[in-house]
Amino acid sequence: MTDIALSVPTIPEPSPTMRLVRRFLGQKAFVIGAGILAVIVALAILAPLLAPHDPYTQNLALRNVPPFWYQKGSWLHPLGTDQLGRDYLSRVLYGARISLLIGVSVVLISGIIGTTLGLLAGYFGGKVDMAVTFLVTTRLSMPVILVALAVVAMVGGSLWVVILVLGLLKWDRFAVVMRSATQQVRSLDYVAAAEAAGASTTRIIVREVLPNIVPHLIVVATLEAASAILLEAALSFLGLGVQPPLPSWGLMISEAKAYMFFSFWLIAIPGSALALLIFAINLAGDGLRDVISPEGRA
Amino acid sequence: MSLLRKVATLSLASTALLTGVFGSAALAGKSDNTIRFAYDQAPESVDPYFNNVRIGVIIGQHVWDTLVYRDPNTNEYKGQLATAWRQIDDRTLEFDLRQGVKFHNGEEFDADDVVYTMNFISKPENKVVTQANVSWVEKAEKLDKYKVRITTKQPFPAAIEYLSGPVVIHPNEYYEKVGPKGQNDKPVGSGPYKVTNYVPGKSITLEKNPDYFKDSPKPQPKIAKIDIRFIPDRQTQMAEAISGGVDFIMHVPKDQAEQLEAVPTLQVVSGETMRIVFMQMNTLENTPAPALRDERVRKAIIHAIDRESMVKSIVGAGSRVLNTICFPSQFGCTDEGATKYAYDPAKSKELLKEAGFANGLELDIVAYRERNQTEALIGYLQAVGIKTNLRFLQYAAMRESIAAGKANLTHQTWGSFSVNDTSAATSNYFGFRSEDITRDPQVRDLLTKGDTSIDPEVRKASYREALKIIADKAYAVPLYSLPVYYVATSDLTFKAYPDEMPRFWEMSWK
Repeated sequence: MTDIALSVPTIPEPSPTMRLVRRFLGQKAFVIGAGILAVIVALAILAPLLAPHDPYTQNLALRNVPPFWYQKGSWLHPLGTDQLGRDYLSRVLYGARISLLIGVSVVLISGIIGTTLGLLAGYFGGKVDMAVTFLVTTRLSMPVILVALAVVAMVGGSLWVVILVLGLLKWDRFAVVMRSATQQVRSLDYVAAAEAAGASTTRIIVREVLPNIVPHLIVVATLEAASAILLEAALSFLGLGVQPPLPSWGLMISEAKAYMFFSFWLIAIPGSALALLIFAINLAGDGLRDVISPEGRA
Repeated sequence: MSLLRKVATLSLASTALLTGVFGSAALAGKSDNTIRFAYDQAPESVDPYFNNVRIGVIIGQHVWDTLVYRDPNTNEYKGQLATAWRQIDDRTLEFDLRQGVKFHNGEEFDADDVVYTMNFISKPENKVVTQANVSWVEKAEKLDKYKVRITTKQPFPAAIEYLSGPVVIHPNEYYEKVGPKGQNDKPVGSGPYKVTNYVPGKSITLEKNPDYFKDSPKPQPKIAKIDIRFIPDRQTQMAEAISGGVDFIMHVPKDQAEQLEAVPTLQVVSGETMRIVFMQMNTLENTPAPALRDERVRKAIIHAIDRESMVKSIVGAGSRVLNTICFPSQFGCTDEGATKYAYDPAKSKELLKEAGFANGLELDIVAYRERNQTEALIGYLQAVGIKTNLRFLQYAAMRESIAAGKANLTHQTWGSFSVNDTSAATSNYFGFRSEDITRDPQVRDLLTKGDTSIDPEVRKASYREALKIIADKAYAVPLYSLPVYYVATSDLTFKAYPDEMPRFWEMSWK
């Protein structure tokens, strides 16, 4: 008896957390995207420790030094210096902070606005839904870049103006997705059960509905963060975004434009950094969606 | 994503340009005897009285003539539309006019044209853009068909200098009929080139005037056609120059000019110009930046900027550091006795602290050209704790913002309309004219005295005193003179003059 019992292999039942982790790790796209993103975030946070120089110190005697792999380059400035003699590597590292700050803050602002509107519209329906839909339609009829340009041209550009303008403009996708997700959840049994149990509307929205639409929220947030970072770069490139001497990647690309013909790395380095960040965020977002949505499960 | 795509396309395009097009082009200009000239700004109007951009001055000198001509090599005055002139009294000049000169539309040049033009520009209600160029004229009267007298409001010693520069002569019958608007739509002058095609904001074509009068001190043009295109983007201009799409560009930044020197089909010519670079500081009663009313803050700003390094590294060959707001060759310009501010960031911080800005302050800065220099200025200010918000504008918009008193700091440049007299520079910014944002009556009175006294010694003394006050009270930040880099197809023969005037009428092919 004992022999037989011992011979039965025990299959340990994985905990739900473990299952989730495995599902994430099974998604190559997510792993790669999140990995790159984590590295960029780490570099940005540790910029003051990693950067070889102060990104603002200009040294006109050491201008336009090429990166180390050129003959005239040196390890003192691994990625060379810009047209005012500022260390390029340090500026790229600090630039990551600006991009991430913009991405996160814009998503926070627009996420709060959009999610609130979407939840209200989806939960209450009727007139509230009509009002929110009207707001979304109005917002969608305004091209973001044009409105942002106009506002920034009027009040003058700065980091916070850019964050506010983009935050106040980019809530539409949150509202639309949250609205339809809420509508689905709203008709489910546990919401009805909560209503029957006498829970208040606020409690139902916050405790029953919201947690169940968070996965959608995260996916939209990654997409929006990427698009906000790109918009900031575009605004800065046009001279209407972040102000010099802040090291924004868009601004760096714009300043390097004059040197494009003969010193391509000045434009290629911040350009690749920007591309890599957007790529990573989109990859992570895509992977996240696949992990979360039931259709994506193997 | 569109930005990324753009960047990718651009870098691809530049590589293609570098590998493919070198060496193959640049024959186009010579073969059809046309100079294709790209410039980054379009004039608000072609009529020289209604714009104040350099390209306007260039077009003005090619399409129109002046009474007197200053030889750029010797600085000697020669008769152009006038053949002789004499001073009748302190305020009156008499001119004998040239006979047999015709405007491009066939209208004959005579005293009526001079009288009409002078009387037109002297009236403030006609709103000539740069009043400094014309406000000295009181009236003109005709003595006979080829003799006129011009009266100045006050004794005005620099009159001949102005009459050889910005004061061009319009055809009276045509101008009376069409006005400044018509003169912009279909410009008519008497100069060595005539306008044959003009698309505002885009391009203007000048063709050789075959009937240009033989005795003009401007030689008969050899190049048949000047095709001017307004291309605001410097990169496009450079790409066009490399690929042979344009034959002539100017105001190329130092770094780019040095790089273009390596292109075998191109030549780079540079020289100092009369254009001065300075920063204005708004100290008006209602200034949006009250900190600038504090002399210590203004001095801190000057001490913060390393002009020597800027000149050496980013401004370029032919530039020099200035200590007063005028160009050294201009009559009356001097920095004798004026306070000079050395680069001293520690002192700058000290002064800011004394003024109560130990934790720094924030100012707007408006600029319109040489953005890399603006950014260097911003970097220096940042280093002493002055944060700036850059508003990079078109010139007209910047001028408007200054005239409205909305500017805090400006990164300003001024070419004095190539007038070699201090009255054309300092008085424009400190003589209570629209762009004066300091308005010190004492400075104004001294400048007026300098502008209107006949005795050269009195003039010099008044300008010296005015320039000294401006420097001592730190009303502005004098920076440096600007060199100009021309990049042209290598088979063109031309010379760079300090007045920033490419003279197409004397250019030729090698």
